[in-house]
Amino acid sequence: MSEFRDRARGCLLGLAAGDALGRPAENLTPEEITRRWGRLTELEPGPDGGPAGTDDTEYAIFAASLLTAHGSALTTEDVVAAYREQVLPIDGPMKGAGFSELGTVQALRRGLTPPLTGRRHDHGWSDGLAMRAAPYGVFAAGDPDEAARLVTVDGAVSHSGEGILGGRAVAAAVAAAMTGAPPAGVVAAGLGAVPEDSWTARSVRAAVRITAGRDRDRLAADLHEAVVARHYPWTDLAPEAVALAFAAYLTGGGDVEESAVTAVSLGRDADTTAAIAGALAGAGRGEGGVPERWARAIGPVRGACLPAVAGRDVREVADALARARKTHG
Amino acid sequence: MASGDPRDRVRGAFAGLAIGDAAGWPAARHRWGLLAPWTRRLGRELDGFAEEHRVTTLPVPFALNQPVAALAVGPSDDAEWLAWTARTLGTDRRGAFEALGDDVRARISVRTALDNLARGVDPPASGHDNPHFFDDAAAVRAVAFGAAHPGAPEDASRAARADAVITNAEDGVHAAGAMAAATAVAVAGAPAGDAVAAALAELPPGTAIHGAATDALDLPGDAFALVPSLDAALQDHVYSYGVAAARTVPVALALTRASDGDLARAVPAAACLASLADSAPALTGALTGAITGWAALPETWRERARHLAGCCLPELAGADLVAIADRLSGPGPSGTAHQEGTG
Repeated sequence: MSEFRDRARGCLLGLAAGDALGRPAENLTPEEITRRWGRLTELEPGPDGGPAGTDDTEYAIFAASLLTAHGSALTTEDVVAAYREQVLPIDGPMKGAGFSELGTVQALRRGLTPPLTGRRHDHGWSDGLAMRAAPYGVFAAGDPDEAARLVTVDGAVSHSGEGILGGRAVAAAVAAAMTGAPPAGVVAAGLGAVPEDSWTARSVRAAVRITAGRDRDRLAADLHEAVVARHYPWTDLAPEAVALAFAAYLTGGGDVEESAVTAVSLGRDADTTAAIAGALAGAGRGEGGVPERWARAIGPVRGACLPAVAGRDVREVADALARARKTHG
Repeated sequence: MASGDPRDRVRGAFAGLAIGDAAGWPAARHRWGLLAPWTRRLGRELDGFAEEHRVTTLPVPFALNQPVAALAVGPSDDAEWLAWTARTLGTDRRGAFEALGDDVRARISVRTALDNLARGVDPPASGHDNPHFFDDAAAVRAVAFGAAHPGAPEDASRAARADAVITNAEDGVHAAGAMAAATAVAVAGAPAGDAVAAALAELPPGTAIHGAATDALDLPGDAFALVPSLDAALQDHVYSYGVAAARTVPVALALTRASDGDLARAVPAAACLASLADSAPALTGALTGAITGWAALPETWRERARHLAGCCLPELAGADLVAIADRLSGPGPSGTAHQEGTG
């Protein structure tokens, strides 16, 4: 297997495993997570008995499909067309979708076009783009600027402001991780893709400072104090989720299991933060870096959130990205 | 129907905001905060009861074993934050916020900004690194800056934006500029169309608030007829809160123009948009009240909305909003001296 394909598989398996690992802990406090599990290290069975990922994995596959279809020529019109084809027809509840996806769908149904589709709803800063940004980093491996450019094309449909910056930070960081860069360099690449004077940059810098302190007992408390908006009830703020994910990845030293488990232990949008941390670590360590017991549990997605991706396996998606890189790169 | 007295129109802006604030259903929820916490806990349990028993008899704010005065129709959060702004006008804005004690109730944007200031995140980041940067908290406060700069929309906007960036960013700040500019021209005697135009000039093309405002202003019909149209054009009914400035300010602009500045037609329509009823009626009331002046507003409402409850800022309990407006206008009798050439 080529090094690229190996890292691509590691990235998407890490993402799917983190997503599945964090699912039962989503929106719980670090204290409650410790009370229930101590450290949550095993993928808990999902509704159908198997540990399936949630929206994060399925939307990441959606993003990967945009790249395999259009490569670096991807336009916002292509993204809109994919929404119309795969997301808008969902009849009934949009399971697992966040406010940003549903807000985007409503904006598209109303006849708005990008970038207004990402602005005319109240969740432009959601972590919904960051959670599906990894494939852009895979496709543009070694080129964080290009990864950030591509994810911005996607984000213009559904996000605005810090939501797009969160996606840029994750895509650029994955692009760096795909070269085997050390965690500090990966996070630096993520920071390099967002303006210094942004919420995302301030949150990530605070997270970097706190993880450098190495006081593991206070990690969650210090991170929450620094990057969590405590008077806000929802947990899907991109600047917060990306900062927590990067902090977990740094704390885990780039190890897939350590990074994802640490992310989950921090609570908040735990499936998304663990998915991001897992994607970064998996890109760095390759398929072999993903714990065997986790990889075994990750099978084809159910399409619970996005019926259009039902049956896709992240390994096959990673391989398709590798082929697309050759064709469209 | 414009009143001839600028001092009366400043009163109208303040009283109009308070009337709109009182007219929306959330006012009673806010004023309920003056009762013992267990009353509201029982209220939450009754919500659960209605759900469990499939009864459509929904609980309303109630006062078991408690004084009932707080639950009478009256102003709540927005009127108090406007009064606070007027009282602190001319002081350093950051200092004014930092001087607030812990015993205040405020929007998510303001509570988060206070946390940001406390942890060293300075303005404008305090308003930007904020999940509700886009809300209309600063747009409400902006009415005070508009009233303080009659006939000078640019000055009003500049002052309102300097205040707004502490708690808001982007659309939340543009909304403050728009409300300040519209209020400034309205209290100087301009008709509804001019006030709306002054507001629109503050909204940069390409922003959500600009798009929503132009969409709202394109809709035909009188104020009440606009209710379903505004719901369809502006609301996606996706998010859990209804205070986005990009929805409430366009509603206020559209209803102000459709009613030709008549509060008695515009505010009831705004209050019918249930998910925006916390602040859209208040903003609508501020603009229409500024246009017609205080004397033209319904007397029953003027009296009922005049005294603040202290449900968000306890120090304001019992304060007379009309007296606060008069103090902002400066020495009487009419305050016309500095108005010349601005109408």
